Amino acid sequence: MSLRRALTLTSLVWVTAISAGHVYLNMEPEKWFQKEEERKMRIGFLPVTCHLTCPVTDFIDRETGGDGRFEPLRFSGWPELKEAFLSGHTRATFILAPMAIALREQGIPIKIVYLGHRDGTALMVGKDSDIRSIAGLRGKTVAVPNRFSNQSLLIFRALNNAGMSIDDIKLIEMPPPDMPAALYSKAVDAVTSGEPFMAQCELDGYGRVLYLTKDIWPNFISCVLAVHEDEIRDHPERVQTLVNGIANSGMWLEDGMDKRMAAASFVSKQYYNQDSRLLKFVLSKPPDRVKYDNLALQKENFEEIAELGKQSGILEGTVRFEDYVDLRFGAAAEKTKKAHDYGAEQAMKDLEGK
Amino acid sequence: MPTSDHIIEVRDLWMTFPGKRKDEPVHVLENVGFSVERGEFVCIVGPSGCGKSTLLNIIAGFLQQSSGSVLVEGAPVTGPDPKRIFVFQENGVFPWLNVEDNVGFGLLDKSKDERREIVKHYIEMVSLGGFEKSYPRELSGGMRQRVEIARALASSPDIIYMDEPFGALDFITRLKMRTDLVRIWQEEKKTVLFVTHDIEEAVQLADTVLVMSRRPATVQLSYPINLARPRDLDSPGYLAARDRIFREMGMSLKVGG
Amino acid sequence: MKTFGLPIAVAVLFLTGWHLAVKLSGGDIFPTPWQVVLGIAELAQKGVLLKYIVASLFRVTWGFGLAILIGVPLGLLLGWFKYAAAALNPMIQIFRPISPIAWIPVAILWFGVDDRAPVFLIFLASVFPITVSSMAAVQNMQPVYVRAARNFGLRNTELFRKVIFPACLPQILTGLRIALGIAWLVVVAAEMIAVNSGLGYLIIDARNAGKRYDLVVAGMVMIGLIGLALDVAVRRLEKFDEVRWGYANK
Repeated sequence: MSLRRALTLTSLVWVTAISAGHVYLNMEPEKWFQKEEERKMRIGFLPVTCHLTCPVTDFIDRETGGDGRFEPLRFSGWPELKEAFLSGHTRATFILAPMAIALREQGIPIKIVYLGHRDGTALMVGKDSDIRSIAGLRGKTVAVPNRFSNQSLLIFRALNNAGMSIDDIKLIEMPPPDMPAALYSKAVDAVTSGEPFMAQCELDGYGRVLYLTKDIWPNFISCVLAVHEDEIRDHPERVQTLVNGIANSGMWLEDGMDKRMAAASFVSKQYYNQDSRLLKFVLSKPPDRVKYDNLALQKENFEEIAELGKQSGILEGTVRFEDYVDLRFGAAAEKTKKAHDYGAEQAMKDLEGK
Repeated sequence: MPTSDHIIEVRDLWMTFPGKRKDEPVHVLENVGFSVERGEFVCIVGPSGCGKSTLLNIIAGFLQQSSGSVLVEGAPVTGPDPKRIFVFQENGVFPWLNVEDNVGFGLLDKSKDERREIVKHYIEMVSLGGFEKSYPRELSGGMRQRVEIARALASSPDIIYMDEPFGALDFITRLKMRTDLVRIWQEEKKTVLFVTHDIEEAVQLADTVLVMSRRPATVQLSYPINLARPRDLDSPGYLAARDRIFREMGMSLKVGG
Repeated sequence: MKTFGLPIAVAVLFLTGWHLAVKLSGGDIFPTPWQVVLGIAELAQKGVLLKYIVASLFRVTWGFGLAILIGVPLGLLLGWFKYAAAALNPMIQIFRPISPIAWIPVAILWFGVDDRAPVFLIFLASVFPITVSSMAAVQNMQPVYVRAARNFGLRNTELFRKVIFPACLPQILTGLRIALGIAWLVVVAAEMIAVNSGLGYLIIDARNAGKRYDLVVAGMVMIGLIGLALDVAVRRLEKFDEVRWGYANK
């Protein structure tokens, strides 16, 4: 057979086969012909405890309602999450509060509508290290997820309170999933990010908590739920439904440890692809390590963040609270919020069935 | 004035190449003039690097002369022409085609059956029967040159230009190729213009030998060889012709000493 | 013996060395070869192994395919027309060293988070080596072929189709083989964007999932094995008569 014939034949067969295979295995062709209005709103999240209300809402929604009203999209890191929102692929997203404010300063029409959680962050040091207090961090390397994260503001605040400045430590950015390994191999002296990566250091025996946020900055806020202004303008009902769902999930997670354990199971298996042991630890030891019930937006929290952000140089201070926040949805949700009518046992049964 | 017998006519041909430095151009050919009769076998000999290949390339239309005229069939040469095929010293054969596709390369406007007939005829003529489906990489150097000659002949040109076609072959193969070439030429009666550095080869093959001088080259001598073919390498006529040319080129008849 | 025996012996040596190194180091983060095999089995059992392999191959097929369709003709043209080469070559040499990873934010902005973004990145990674090697193929071609072809009256498109292209094909094919290796290498970077399938995605996700380094290495092993298969397939092409003359395999 000539080269030309062999090539044409192989290429045609291969391209057809691999494309058909891909469409069949990995795509959902029915969705291509859906109209925009019928499409579910896509929400971006990361596999972290701070965003737990997102998968919880989706799971309970599907189990009790049928098809689910939203499409949660998992991302691997902050940059991809942010870019998906910027390109309009996701219309709502969980995001770091300082990052949302910074985006607003750059002119992106983003509006924070609700909180994701309170507390839920820790600073870990090596188990055998001799760092016992903030002062012990002098001259050491500390990893934060992102310069726009509340964790870096937290460090800034803690250093201020201890009479030190940000120049007394070496701050580096690192993706949270890489932090446990970095602490283990002593590549860095301390790490801080949202859970469950901090708990992983503790559980695996090489990390020690230097402080939990609830000890330093009570009712600390970090991740928020933000929505694109166009979505608010075009589909306010959808946004309200979303916020209501998040609020109810928050109440559900505070309604009993059994519900938290159930959430740990189905979220780690279905959404986060992590070991459920980790999530269970974070949600229970201690039980108020992270909280989900007081998620209404409060101006003082944000002004404090904006102020700290300006001092540490990551924010310009050119936008006001009213510019980047829309209070209506949270206010309405606060009036009607109550835990989902969904038992923990039912959740475990539904998970088995999958 | 070109007469109808002079199929090739070269007059006052000069060729200069730009040198490494701007003010030092390289003069290769100087005042070259000669003519070739239809059906004649002409050999051009000369010392290495004297410009014989350059001359042949100009006549074949691959290079443009600096000044002077080259007339083929009464018309000036403007570029290569399928009626005048060039046989290269090496690698002229297309390696991605087998023998019969190579030989048939100039016959693509003919019908498939016609082409097959012609190709078969010329493959036989160069004694490559049985190798039609072979690829050049599977053949020896001598066999590849045969393919090229067959390819040249198959398209029925009026003139064949040969640029040291046997130069890359060993002595014995060269002798055999010369015999075959003469046989074929006698059958096909083409005009052949053959460049070689090998004086014996020239005397064995040619009707006329043109001796070129050193660079800048000009035609030093145009020597007719009036010997019948097949030529006897022992005969006095052959030796006399050979010696004449040796002397013309200032070469000694003794090796060593 | 030569084709299979020697490589298998080397592989066995390598695997033994790997196993010993992990055991002797005493740590439990890096997996042993057997743990990786179990990891692959786990992926196959969950049904994702085939899905991810097909997804990655799909994106490489289209990205690399587009790169051939654009790069080969472009390279041939640039090799043949000196003015075109002089005009475009500097731009090509500026774009070439920019790693596909640097293009990721642009890819998301232009193409969103579906298959088009990784296909674009793989296209970028492949098109430059393909263009450059096709260009070199024309420039390094033996001029005698063109002379002979002109002698037989061939011009322009016929000259290109019948002589220049076949003469350059061996070198073009070598360029394709190298570029395919690069394309397959870029798959991990390309799938770091929020597509939710593919071998590159598997590695990023396994890393995000905590201590699943066995899946990370399993992904690496699959990528390596498929890369080998791709290379073997292209080498097969080099045995065809139309191109075999161009490779000095004595």
